[in-house]
Amino acid sequence: MRFNRTNLALEKDDTNRFLPWLIAFMALLAALSIAGLLMLKQISNVFEHNSQDTMTVQIPAGESPEVDEQNTIKAITALKKAEGVMTTTRVSNGEIRKLLQPWLGETAGSEAIPLPQIIDVKIDRASDLTAKRLTNLLTTIMPGTTVDDHSLWLTNLVDTLQSAELIALGIVFLITLATVGTVVFTTRTGMGIHRQTIEVLHFVGAHDEFIARQFAARAFIVGFQGGVGGILLAAPVLYAFEYVLKNLESGLLPKADLNSSIWIGVSSVVPVVAIIAMMTARSTVIKTLKKIV
Amino acid sequence: MTEVVRFENVGLRYGLGPEVLQDITFGLEAGSFHFLIGPSGAGKSSLLRLMYLAHRQTRGIISLFGQDTTSLPREKLPNIRRRIGVMFQDFRLLPHLSAFDNVALPLRVAGVRESEIKRHVEELLVWVALEDHMDVRPPTMSGGQQQRVAIARAVISRPKILYADEPTGNVDSRIAARLMHLFEELNKLGTTVVIATHNESIVNEFGRPVLRIDAGRLKTIPHEGTQGKSKESKLKIISNLLNQGEAS
Repeated sequence: MRFNRTNLALEKDDTNRFLPWLIAFMALLAALSIAGLLMLKQISNVFEHNSQDTMTVQIPAGESPEVDEQNTIKAITALKKAEGVMTTTRVSNGEIRKLLQPWLGETAGSEAIPLPQIIDVKIDRASDLTAKRLTNLLTTIMPGTTVDDHSLWLTNLVDTLQSAELIALGIVFLITLATVGTVVFTTRTGMGIHRQTIEVLHFVGAHDEFIARQFAARAFIVGFQGGVGGILLAAPVLYAFEYVLKNLESGLLPKADLNSSIWIGVSSVVPVVAIIAMMTARSTVIKTLKKIV
Repeated sequence: MTEVVRFENVGLRYGLGPEVLQDITFGLEAGSFHFLIGPSGAGKSSLLRLMYLAHRQTRGIISLFGQDTTSLPREKLPNIRRRIGVMFQDFRLLPHLSAFDNVALPLRVAGVRESEIKRHVEELLVWVALEDHMDVRPPTMSGGQQQRVAIARAVISRPKILYADEPTGNVDSRIAARLMHLFEELNKLGTTVVIATHNESIVNEFGRPVLRIDAGRLKTIPHEGTQGKSKESKLKIISNLLNQGEAS
């Protein structure tokens, strides 16, 4: 005890007992929001980068598999000659059945069901190729062929996802404000409790910074404890969420999982909360002390 | 002699209340020893608070160590406060710190090395006869022991001025005499001493110059005429006080 440097026994304050729990709760909310934000970003990136430059050609099912094969080869040949088409990828019958499974169930696997032929076409958006022009080109060869331009509906979907990302970001911002407010309140309460000690420190020649450092150090520890607590609470929730996502019927959404970047993002809550708490406490003490001589 | 404290037409009011100190003008020379006396509520504590920069005056000029503190920026005040030792009536020791850490506080605040702190604090605690109580916390100490810790804290950084607010108020006469002896010793070493007290018998017997305050106004301006009673006279006073203490 002889060389104890803690002049304000802040760790014994009642406010410091409940503050880690409050911060843990906010860190939990922040961690969930950040994980949600990063997962939405993953999904919108997949949509944006994989599908924005693609169109899907759908050729109606023919009378026999041989006819389907001939029609598909004709379409691919025509597509390759068209200006603005970069690549063509034929979707196999197996993949088509897999895509139909969420809607048709086990029936989708039946050989008896006639399947349309699908070709993914990657196009150069800089060219003046449109879905309408491609449809006109292909219907002269095979009537009933349709062309679906993904950019039309993807733009709306990506916009919606980006709005959701903004909402998540807004929630993180509000949580930050609430954390700052809580730290300001508890720091002021702490200063009230230790008013006499602060006065003594002033009389013996302590600079405001000396006093503020003690509150800031304590706030850092409390913020760190709360942050770790919040992440520990968030981890099982996130694992449960990932489990639900993995068990969703494939084809509904692109794959989004808790990869390392999401865990890094979520873990960053701990130091960020600790630093925010520390800086808030420091500036609160400095501002409050300025009102005292 | 140079003045370490100078008040010029100083006034003080708390908030929108009436002036508790009015037109205070005086100066204290370096190495002087003064009593600050006056009835309860006269403004002794307020005057002391202005002297150790716990409050800012509402008007007038206060100079400490030749520096006008009126317009001094806040960040400069700690350096002046470090040259002032204050002993409070209620001691204001930090209850969660040991006697050693309480005394070490001014040095730690000033950023002195731990090895030096250890040497100085131990030396001073031996001087106030508390070498066996270094690790003891104030709440478990007697009033007299707490008082000695408080004075050790007030003088550890070798202040140029020492203020004591009613130092003999809560102790028996034996301890009071011992304390007065300590103040005299410090004064001999060159420290300017100001003691606020309502114990007029000590004031009369020690025969030091007096700042008398009444209803917020300074009635007696300090002078050096009564300063310097003979050594024999002082020893007699202390002896009397000790005898009183033993008798009680």
